[in-house]
Amino acid sequence: MNSLVSFDWLREYVKLTETPEEFARRISLSGPAVEKIVPLHGDLDGIVVGKIKEINPHPNADKLRVVMVDIGRETPAQIVCGGINLEPHQWVAVATVGSKVRWHGQGDLVTMELAELRGVKSEGMICAANEIGLGDAFPMEDRMILDLGREFGWTRGLLKPGSPVADVLGGASDVAMDIEVPSNRVDAMGMVGMAREASAILNRPFTWNEPKLPVVARRAVSLRVTISAKKQCPRYMAAKIEGVKVGPSPWWMKRRLMSAGLRPINNLVDISNYVMLELAQPTHIFDASTVVGGIDVRLARQGEKIMALDGKTYDLDDTVLLIADDEKPIAVAGVMGGEHTGVNVNTTDVIIECATFDPVVIRRGARRLNLQSDAQLRFEKGLSTAALPEAMARTIKLVREIAGGKIAGPIADVGETKYEPLSFSVTTDEVNGLIGVEIPKKEMVERLRRLGFKVGLKGKTIHAVVPWWRDHDIESGRDLVEEIARIEGYANIPGKIPFGLGPRPMDPELVWERRARDISKGAGLTETYTYSFVSSDLLAKAGYDASKMLRVQNPLTAEFEFMRTTLLPSLLQVAAENTERASDIRLFEVANVYYPRKGDLPDEQLELGALFMGMGEPWRVAKGYVEHLLGEMGLADVSWRRLSTDSFWHPGRTVQAFHKGALVATVGEVSPKVAAAFKLGPVALVDIPLEAVVPHAKTAKAFAPVSTFPDAKRDLAIIVDWRVEFDDVARAISRTSPLITNVEWFDTYRGANLPEEKKSLAMHLTFSSPDRTLESTEVDGLMEKISLGLKEEYKAEMRG
Amino acid sequence: MEDQLNALRMEAEQAVSAAKDVAELDAAETKYLGRKGELTNVLKQLAAVKAEDRPRLGSLANEIKRRVEASVAARRKEMEATHLGAIAEAERVDVTEPGTRPPEGHLHVVTTAINEITDTFEKIGFVRTRYPEVDWDFYAFEGLNMPADHPARDEWETFFMDAPVSDKGKMVLTPHTSNSQVRELERGEFPVRMINIAKCYRRQSDATHVPMFHQFEGLYVDKDVSVAHLRGVLDYFAQSFFGPDRKTRLRPFHFRFTEPSFEIDISCGVCGGSGVTLDKQKCRVCKRGWLELGGAGMVHPNVLKAGGVDPEKYTGFAFGWGVERTYMMKEGLKVDDIRVLYRNDLRFLQQF
Repeated sequence: MNSLVSFDWLREYVKLTETPEEFARRISLSGPAVEKIVPLHGDLDGIVVGKIKEINPHPNADKLRVVMVDIGRETPAQIVCGGINLEPHQWVAVATVGSKVRWHGQGDLVTMELAELRGVKSEGMICAANEIGLGDAFPMEDRMILDLGREFGWTRGLLKPGSPVADVLGGASDVAMDIEVPSNRVDAMGMVGMAREASAILNRPFTWNEPKLPVVARRAVSLRVTISAKKQCPRYMAAKIEGVKVGPSPWWMKRRLMSAGLRPINNLVDISNYVMLELAQPTHIFDASTVVGGIDVRLARQGEKIMALDGKTYDLDDTVLLIADDEKPIAVAGVMGGEHTGVNVNTTDVIIECATFDPVVIRRGARRLNLQSDAQLRFEKGLSTAALPEAMARTIKLVREIAGGKIAGPIADVGETKYEPLSFSVTTDEVNGLIGVEIPKKEMVERLRRLGFKVGLKGKTIHAVVPWWRDHDIESGRDLVEEIARIEGYANIPGKIPFGLGPRPMDPELVWERRARDISKGAGLTETYTYSFVSSDLLAKAGYDASKMLRVQNPLTAEFEFMRTTLLPSLLQVAAENTERASDIRLFEVANVYYPRKGDLPDEQLELGALFMGMGEPWRVAKGYVEHLLGEMGLADVSWRRLSTDSFWHPGRTVQAFHKGALVATVGEVSPKVAAAFKLGPVALVDIPLEAVVPHAKTAKAFAPVSTFPDAKRDLAIIVDWRVEFDDVARAISRTSPLITNVEWFDTYRGANLPEEKKSLAMHLTFSSPDRTLESTEVDGLMEKISLGLKEEYKAEMRG
Repeated sequence: MEDQLNALRMEAEQAVSAAKDVAELDAAETKYLGRKGELTNVLKQLAAVKAEDRPRLGSLANEIKRRVEASVAARRKEMEATHLGAIAEAERVDVTEPGTRPPEGHLHVVTTAINEITDTFEKIGFVRTRYPEVDWDFYAFEGLNMPADHPARDEWETFFMDAPVSDKGKMVLTPHTSNSQVRELERGEFPVRMINIAKCYRRQSDATHVPMFHQFEGLYVDKDVSVAHLRGVLDYFAQSFFGPDRKTRLRPFHFRFTEPSFEIDISCGVCGGSGVTLDKQKCRVCKRGWLELGGAGMVHPNVLKAGGVDPEKYTGFAFGWGVERTYMMKEGLKVDDIRVLYRNDLRFLQQF
């Protein structure tokens, strides 16, 4: 919640001696954080007050005049001007040579130069309001110049030829501070609340005088107000003022509204906004003549409509709180007034509404209508019912001063009127223990008092009565600790590191998750992070059934709807999105997947998914990666089994790895149908349920002593039926003799020179013995035995 | 004999200088200096000369041998130089071409950030934990002192699951890692020293927000824990993670599950905390010299109670910050649109 605070305005309610910079630095440490300080006035150097002496026609242009203006010099300035409202003796703003203006209020600032316009010299410009940054304050038609006499006649003393226009405007040195107010401190969104805060923090006098409601004699004219929705509207005050005159606001009010970023509209609307800026309590002023019968605060009915002040019509329902008369809605309570009951130039009688609404109904209603306003922003934070009399009194006072009129009848005040303040206790030990430094008891009491608490002290117990403007954010004794501490700020609290051991070792899953990532990076894969929720489209493309997954009830878009039970569709999507730019793709991701469980939270399982595309035979690269990863994770004994029954996977190119009976990896090509759905060629995928791998993972390695005797190496190439698998052949070979220590595949060949049904399988065999050098004849004998065995088992023929 | 020696010397030196390659030089060396070489032969005849001539002739012969040896060595060196020159030309490669690299993988920025954060806190005895990312309302909100009508519990802020309500409320996608607080407290192991890092979900997607992101949640609960401890840990983290010259400040703030609550600011690394850059311009990275790091505070008594812990006995602090945001502040990575982190464009991912 940010608020723009004019430093000059603030200083009206609290005596400050600091510069804005000093103030910002100090106050930021105690709550309201000053994020920016910006000068309020544009560069008005060289813009001076002028008084028109003569207006002569331009010899060469019908629409231009040659104007002689007294700008305090010995000789008047000659200025060529096209303003249509020029008059002799008029007070105007003159941009002299060297000053900066914005032509017609548009584009960048330009520097005035000595000019010749259609053959006549011009020493500057007579400015329109929007050319010197005052367009909002003085809206005017095109080609009209700013009449200083009309707008600033009341500052007559300052209207002197040649004096700076900045002095006429006042507040030339004022700055706006962009302050972030904590979300629970809506009171400090008001200038008075901020001043109160500053007064407590800086220990400076708070000078705001609380206005009092006028005493009104009972008369016949009285306002009928009822509250049907009592829960949503605990208190409602209304006052009727007759005989007001609608017009522009005085300059001082306009200036302040603009300093807070609001645009002046007319005096009544401006007053309502002004009081909101001052007291953080919104009010609503509407045209009394449009109200039929009495006022009721009620929930809207299904089918009711209102055209709001923004000109749009809103369909209402019973989640929206309304201010209504006997016939129609007047306003969406706390959010925005209705167009038809709004104040306009012909308005003479108005009703001032000052009410408290339930923050939740305001928030949800505004959200439901997609309608925001400054009032709603404050109401939805929660305001005190005790705030109303002051805001009402202030509004009435300003209306009567600025727009005139008389109070017609007593002020209506419906709902909660007896206010019971909150009170809480805290002990000085609690305060000191929690903050970590000792604060004297007296100092604690003093700080709370400065903040407006009524404080009693009994032994070590501080008893504090909460001021009404804090009745929404102070909820317990613990909150008093913060109030005591923050006033001083936390800068002087020394840091202490609580050294000690972690309560338990890190979960092995977290340890191995990190290692698996590092291994994958080392293997040349690029890590992705995709969203945990996916669309039903994506799942359908990959052949998954979305209805078996946990669904987000209120997804942002259909793109993020189902909690995935697999990472693989997301990886396919990433590959598809990158395929135009990269031919060889290796990706991996480690993330939780979410398996729904009946009547419980989903089973969150950590999964590693990987994708390989390009690079010749992607499935082989994928399998190599899995072998590497499982090896690095210490799973030595892995058996592989072909998988051909899962429609997601390629029926002939998929294999699963098992360790001690548990599935630890699935690797293979994705089925061509799925690949085609993603417009991809052959893609290999890897799916590793880390939960199944981690219990077996270890960094400790078993080792066998290295034989001191030389190995014997032989190559073996056999021709077998093409369906015979290497793994079976290798096992058969190994079974032949314990002296065969390794069977390493190096080539498979099908094609020319071989019958269609045959393939050639080539391997390197290693023979070794731990206790002797193997004789060549012995190895020859083993080779013979191997080939006999393979002939018998696989009808293998030896290749030359 | 003297003449014979001098003649031999001239002959040998001529042969050496005439040798066109190493083979010819080797041949000449063998011919004159070898064990059966001509100079050796002459030396063998020394025994036959008169005794008084022997020393003079002997030293002359040795002198000549040395000189021939020196000529051979010089010539050999010359030849090697010529040979290397030839190789340099014949076997030259373009050494500015890139080398053959091992496959290069890339960790995602978020992983790198999580690793660094984990390591930093591990050093001061905070153990990384993992708790559900889909959790009950009780852990995500109710137990964290967030009343039923709190805005965060509205359906436009938080994702709810299409699942039956349990006695712990609705099933939600955790909007923060703070659900780990009550879950960790429920273990009843003290002191609690936890750093929980997980995915979080909020209903938002724009240039500065992603619907899924990561947070890290610190929780320390023990007897007599004060703001001073919070400050110590945060200063330690800021200086280890961002660099020793960075300062922190605590500003009062408001969160439901801590009281007092703070916003932690860290001095800006770009302008050095002055708010003004070297060329006297306003620093565009920070707010008046400070960057908002994230929220923290002293665990609210109601949260301790929700975790079954007696707030009269124990106090603690907690903080929960965005991983992505924190890491980007460290690296000064100026990402215009944070969604790029989850778009998985390889051209982006492979820069890390």
